[in-house]
Amino acid sequence: MDIPTLLQHFRTHDAPLVLSRGGDLAWDDAELHRTARLSDPEGYALLALVLGALPWQRARVLLCTLAASQDGLDERTRAILAKVTRALMFGLPPAYAVTALLALRRLRVNHKHATRAVVAFVLEHPEADALIEARRPALVDCFEHALGKATARGCARLIAEGDTGSGRLRRSLLRFTSDPAAAIGRVRALYAPGTYGAVAPQEPPAPLDQVGERPPIVTPTNRGDIAATLVHLYRGGPAAELRPALAGYVAEATRGLPRLAGHVAVVLDTSGSMRGYGDREWAVMSQAAALRLVLAEVCERLTVIETGGVCERLTVAEAGGVCERLAVFEVAATAVEVADAAVEAAEEVVETAEGATDLATRLLDALDARPDLVVIVTDGYENVLPGDLARVVATLPRAGVTTPVVLCQATFTAGDDLTLRDPAPRLPRRPFWHQDDFAGLLPWLFGHCAPGRDWIRTAMLSRLEGRLEGRLEGRLEGQLEGQLEGGLEGGLEGGLEGGLEGRLEGRLEGGRI
Amino acid sequence: MTALETLLPAPLDLRGYRAGAPQRAGALTMVPIWGPERPGIVPPRSGLKLERVVGYGQVELLNGAREGVAIVPLHIGYIQDAAQNHALCSAALMGAGQTRRFDDACCVQAGQGGYLEGRDQWFFVLPVELRAKALELRGHHDYAKLWPDISKLNAACGLPSRGHLEQILSRKRATLTQFQSRLELLPGQLGALFFVGDRFAGLELAPDPVYFAEVWMALVCFAYGVAAWRAEPERPPAAPYDAGSLAELRAELARDRAARQAEVASWLPAPAGDVRLVEEERYLDLRLSTVTGDGLAGQVVVEHGRPVYASLFASR
Repeated sequence: MDIPTLLQHFRTHDAPLVLSRGGDLAWDDAELHRTARLSDPEGYALLALVLGALPWQRARVLLCTLAASQDGLDERTRAILAKVTRALMFGLPPAYAVTALLALRRLRVNHKHATRAVVAFVLEHPEADALIEARRPALVDCFEHALGKATARGCARLIAEGDTGSGRLRRSLLRFTSDPAAAIGRVRALYAPGTYGAVAPQEPPAPLDQVGERPPIVTPTNRGDIAATLVHLYRGGPAAELRPALAGYVAEATRGLPRLAGHVAVVLDTSGSMRGYGDREWAVMSQAAALRLVLAEVCERLTVIETGGVCERLTVAEAGGVCERLAVFEVAATAVEVADAAVEAAEEVVETAEGATDLATRLLDALDARPDLVVIVTDGYENVLPGDLARVVATLPRAGVTTPVVLCQATFTAGDDLTLRDPAPRLPRRPFWHQDDFAGLLPWLFGHCAPGRDWIRTAMLSRLEGRLEGRLEGRLEGQLEGQLEGGLEGGLEGGLEGGLEGRLEGRLEGGRI
Repeated sequence: MTALETLLPAPLDLRGYRAGAPQRAGALTMVPIWGPERPGIVPPRSGLKLERVVGYGQVELLNGAREGVAIVPLHIGYIQDAAQNHALCSAALMGAGQTRRFDDACCVQAGQGGYLEGRDQWFFVLPVELRAKALELRGHHDYAKLWPDISKLNAACGLPSRGHLEQILSRKRATLTQFQSRLELLPGQLGALFFVGDRFAGLELAPDPVYFAEVWMALVCFAYGVAAWRAEPERPPAAPYDAGSLAELRAELARDRAARQAEVASWLPAPAGDVRLVEEERYLDLRLSTVTGDGLAGQVVVEHGRPVYASLFASR
């Protein structure tokens, strides 16, 4: 599985899944998804959780994962796929998820894991009532395809007749759901007449990308806590106050992230243009230094090579540090210790953030260290001499170098003009300007090297089983409880007594459902 | 480092100045210069103030420093919203606390009313395409004297043919100001040689690194950046070096760079022939002179025979 290509595709290819009235399913990248899923079903599904993957791409992964047989997969993998499926179903805007589930019908897919997923979506969605009201035909299609038309209608008939737990109902329906009472109410609603013009919910109940609000006006100190604190340090702010806070912010940003079992070399541009001037002084440099601090915390071995025209230094750090000083720390050094020492290294950037940028020579220096991955962190202005980096990169295959090299471009905002700031168009490149970008940047970076595959898997599993799952479960339970306590149960009963049951029976008799 | 006197012999005594490795941004090549400092000269951004515009073509500057003579950079200009932008035709020497009115200033924004005020001190230096003409017109009291040349420059840039320098400096500012980052000002640098394409464009020297840092943006983005922007080359495809290993690649890169540095040295103008220096004014031992001849023009400030400030540019 080509992780960098897939991640890039997930982030940029925004074409929708199209279900035509004639029954055709159209998606131009089906082969890419199919090949990726075949090579590593679990890794492929987990990639969809990486920050920044587009909703239509996540819908494709949901479709592919549900459409594929799980024959031959072990129980652990099946369990992971079930969790990813649930995360995607409830992490997507409902319309995207419904399209993917409808596509299962068009593909005539009928696996048990797909049945469970569809039933869970239709009957356990936190906003199922509103969804059913607005998308009844589509959800009925999904539901009947999942259970089988006769079975689904049979269950609806049993429920309409007052069955709440017979053996037949349990076998056919209730075994697929964790909340039988709610499921029964929603099946009733599913086969009710509905309300014309009801508006479907648009937002995902458990969004996958929890990105903080981006500031409408960007300043050097509203681009994440780490960079903001560095800016104040660079400006001469009180170190006694700022440094412990910085260590804390670094620890917070990297909490729960696994260690990359590999060697990463960073070519760090510390030139004058990185320092900037005027109101934006230190803005770009601070964000690049923030990335350096995060990498120092996450990578088992990190080599940092600075290029700034003067005082160029080669600093090798092991055990999670970024400068020679860190060698005094044991591998088990605390996050605060590591970050504190890393801050000292970052502060030294102040003294060296001037001069010209020789990315080409420093790349060769980095490759000499034989890392698993080289990351060039720069604003993109190469001036000794422009074009050199591109030529060196073009020569690497001929020189027998297979080490992956990527370029992380530090910018001031997401809207910076990068036309004249691409020193090596052949290199995979990704801009970043806010601390929140790191969540998507790190998987993209590490996806280029062999140890990165395990890192992404571990990180996404951790995400899946931690915050994501907790948020989803919390919201689901909270909403369901609230609805039930707030009278949903009573309302349903009232509705039935008031004629709902009769209308359902009438429709059944009329053959409309 | 290369001794500058061997590269650019006349008309200045450049002994002690050294040129560093060239930097390039598109068509613009900059060779940094280090050399002897002359402390105590008031720099233009932090010391020199635009006081007011008395009337069109009449700009009043103030050396607001408590001590030290200010060297007004050659062809400095100011831009403000809703005011007639102005540029000066010559450099000048101003004592501490001195206010001076320049009656031969150029309006560089035809048809715009309003006077510049002593508030926004953002300044530029005239694009090299206009500098020879502006120097030639020093002493002429006609605020519209540069409009025809500005119109030609605008037309050459594909912009409406009007006497509005603002069309380039303000509207293309986002592109032009990138030259400040595309080329890096180096520590201790107090001068630079500029080339556009393979042609010598200018030599700029400042009394000290602080002074040079204050004129750096005006020079690199506007004095020479405009010409470079117009000549921005297509990016060539990255041809690989003939190298079978990392060591060979490193050697190839070094060899290629040396060749390109030698090429830049070959672009320097030939030793000056018929070059004339005419003293314009003096302040104590400082002498401000105008340089003309042999495709070179500009002004220099010399103290005891040693250059303190120079702004020389190709005049054809």
